[in-house]
Amino acid sequence: MSFVDSILSSLSSLEMNYTLLLLIAVTIPGLIIFLLMTVNAIVAVYMERKISAFMQDRLGPMEVGIFGFKGGKRFWGGIGQTIADAIKLLAKEDIIPKDADKFMMILAPFIIFIASFITFVGVPLSQDFLISNFNIGILYILAMSSVGVIGIILAGWSSNNKWSLYGAMRAASQIISYEIPIAITLLLPVIISGGLDVHTIVDWQLQNRWLILHSPFTFIAFFIFFVSGIAETNRTPFDIPEAESELVAGWMTEYSGFRWSLFFLSEYTNMLIISLVASFVFLGGWGSPLTIINLLPGDYMYLDGPILGFFWLLLKAIALIFIMMWFRWTFPRLRVDQLMYLCWKVFIPFAIFNMLAVGVWEVLF
Amino acid sequence: MKEYFNNIVGGIQSFWKGLSLTFKHMKNKKDLVATLQYPNEKWPIPERNIGFNLSEYNVIRSRLHVDMDDCIGCLQCERACPVDCIKIDTIKPPKESEFDCGKTSFGTQKKLVVPRFTIDMSECMYCNLCVYPCPEECIYMVGGPNEDKHEIDYEFSQYSRDGLIYEFADATDEDILSVGGDEYIKTREERKKRIADGESLNGTEILPGKEENVSVTASSAPAPSLDKPDFTVVNEIEDRVTRATAKKAFTQKFKEKASFQEISKFVKLSLEENGKYSSNLDDIIKRISEMTAPDSTDGGSSESAPAQEEMTHKSFNDLENKMQRGIVKKLFIGEKKKGLSDLDILKLIRAELKTKEMLDDQAKELLKKLMLQSVNPKETPKVESDVFDLKKLNDIEDKMTRGLAKKVYTKSKRDGKKSTEILADIESELQSQEKLTGSVDAVITGIRESI
Repeated sequence: MSFVDSILSSLSSLEMNYTLLLLIAVTIPGLIIFLLMTVNAIVAVYMERKISAFMQDRLGPMEVGIFGFKGGKRFWGGIGQTIADAIKLLAKEDIIPKDADKFMMILAPFIIFIASFITFVGVPLSQDFLISNFNIGILYILAMSSVGVIGIILAGWSSNNKWSLYGAMRAASQIISYEIPIAITLLLPVIISGGLDVHTIVDWQLQNRWLILHSPFTFIAFFIFFVSGIAETNRTPFDIPEAESELVAGWMTEYSGFRWSLFFLSEYTNMLIISLVASFVFLGGWGSPLTIINLLPGDYMYLDGPILGFFWLLLKAIALIFIMMWFRWTFPRLRVDQLMYLCWKVFIPFAIFNMLAVGVWEVLF
Repeated sequence: MKEYFNNIVGGIQSFWKGLSLTFKHMKNKKDLVATLQYPNEKWPIPERNIGFNLSEYNVIRSRLHVDMDDCIGCLQCERACPVDCIKIDTIKPPKESEFDCGKTSFGTQKKLVVPRFTIDMSECMYCNLCVYPCPEECIYMVGGPNEDKHEIDYEFSQYSRDGLIYEFADATDEDILSVGGDEYIKTREERKKRIADGESLNGTEILPGKEENVSVTASSAPAPSLDKPDFTVVNEIEDRVTRATAKKAFTQKFKEKASFQEISKFVKLSLEENGKYSSNLDDIIKRISEMTAPDSTDGGSSESAPAQEEMTHKSFNDLENKMQRGIVKKLFIGEKKKGLSDLDILKLIRAELKTKEMLDDQAKELLKKLMLQSVNPKETPKVESDVFDLKKLNDIEDKMTRGLAKKVYTKSKRDGKKSTEILADIESELQSQEKLTGSVDAVITGIRESI
């Protein structure tokens, strides 16, 4: 049962107008998702700044605190930095260039934001927090996560700036290319578990084993999915759309203040979405990671549940986000041709081969 | 094909190598982080050997410090400072007071209270010249040979520039008051307030219009504030000796800023004393008593307005040719008496110069300039002085209305209208735009009452 349904059934005793009831049932998860996105962005930016600093032998933000509390003395200081940054961004002047297409320029950040917002409708946060339970869950996520390209192209075109346009074209080509390996690798869990539904895939993993450990081919598939996911979120080493040294800020060049912060918010939300999808498709979803090592005797299912499930899923997602950041501060940016080479000549052949091999594996074992 | 797989294997290897390198750095951050959080952490100062004992080294360019207990307020360091970065105020206790200023460590009896001893280290050039004249050796550079008096301070950085002004004086307000420094404290507080006002942009701005108003009220007062006595009336006396006596009396009283009534009485008195008084002088004395400051009678400061704009024969002083200048001046004075306008005179002058073949470039230029001046006479500040201040209109709350009112104000003012006329203009304009609400009307009547 989906989250919206459970709210509806629990509120049905109130004898309210059905339209109003439906509105409430939709607004509550919407607010929760928005809160999650904001908190995720604030925490992840702080984490990213700290991790990048440590990897480069620096300290990162150390001075800004909340209510006088700066955090740890030696390394983890400055916990208020991203909150201060967010307030600063909201207070900034909103500049729209004279020659820009005003309507489209204003529209673009909202399309990008909405694209990452509505993807959450199909992404589970725990076994009971799935806003709408589609029987085509994975297909929905795939479809919605690529809507953002429209916003990117709109932003790049309407800015009336060559850097923006270059950035947008690069982003579009990159995202469309990397859709293919993602789609093919996501077919593997469907082949194995026998359903596009989120619950079917996770339940199969809980009953058998995590898909990443199921066969060598699913391991490769996880790797391909994750790296392609990083490419989809336009992060380093695949950040040629906004390559600072070449294109100033790519399609975000002409944006400032609140609109720019919407881009930023959706970028970090996309990271969270890719990590959540990877963890529920390949890493056992809301199941406890203790099930693999199997240290606890007997019935260890008490470690699961709606609250703990949320915790496990988020833990896995945060671990993957950390890996994304680790990638970002390790590898240099790929050239455009290298990027396309990696996608079309490496990932896609391997993904197709994987799919065939998994089919054979399923028949044999 | 082999190369393709080799590339993939190589890629994965370098991938792993890179990741492990960055992870190693992150894991060992305790040893590897190179950042020094400066104001909180500092590098240790290295031990150093400069070849001789530091205490024998007589000059060290660090921060100036004053041992206030030893300062006798002799101002020698203030005088020695080539950049005037030392500022000292002293107060001498009155003889009858029992206040004890104390003794220096050299045993000298201090005779002055020092309520202010500031050194602006942002101005100091570390020349050390203030140190030598000090008779009590109380001003010195810290550290080095003076290490035992005050530890070295070489990085006195501050968040604001004011922080670099060091105040050494330790005399309390009570001390200052007990030696009769009320006046000193008063002026100090006043100065502080003025600085604070200036920093918060609340300082009083002296507008030219306001200043003009002040001078008008002063000159309309009974006592003349002009610095030159007006002898036009006195000059009508025909007898030379009588005239001189009258003038002398007039000037004497005038310098005392007496009113014209008093002057006239005094003139009469002095004439009587000298035996020169006759009944035919009564008329003149009466006229003197009726004299007022020249500009108060004709209702305004029109004559006190700067006369530079007006053309006189002196305007031609710029001409270098003597002959030319003489001709022009003569002509000008002659024509001016006939009552011709400036422009006509200038035209005449040009024609005259042309006939005498003396119209060179310089003369042409000057004439052109003067003609322009006489055609568009510059606005005298007199007009502004009559009119109420534009800021009074700020009381109007609505932005649009205020803008409109101000627009009308500036326009009417440029046309040289009076305050009442301007107000009427504003009212009619607002009425035509249907913006004359009750509150706006109240503001306008308020202004009208204030003038």
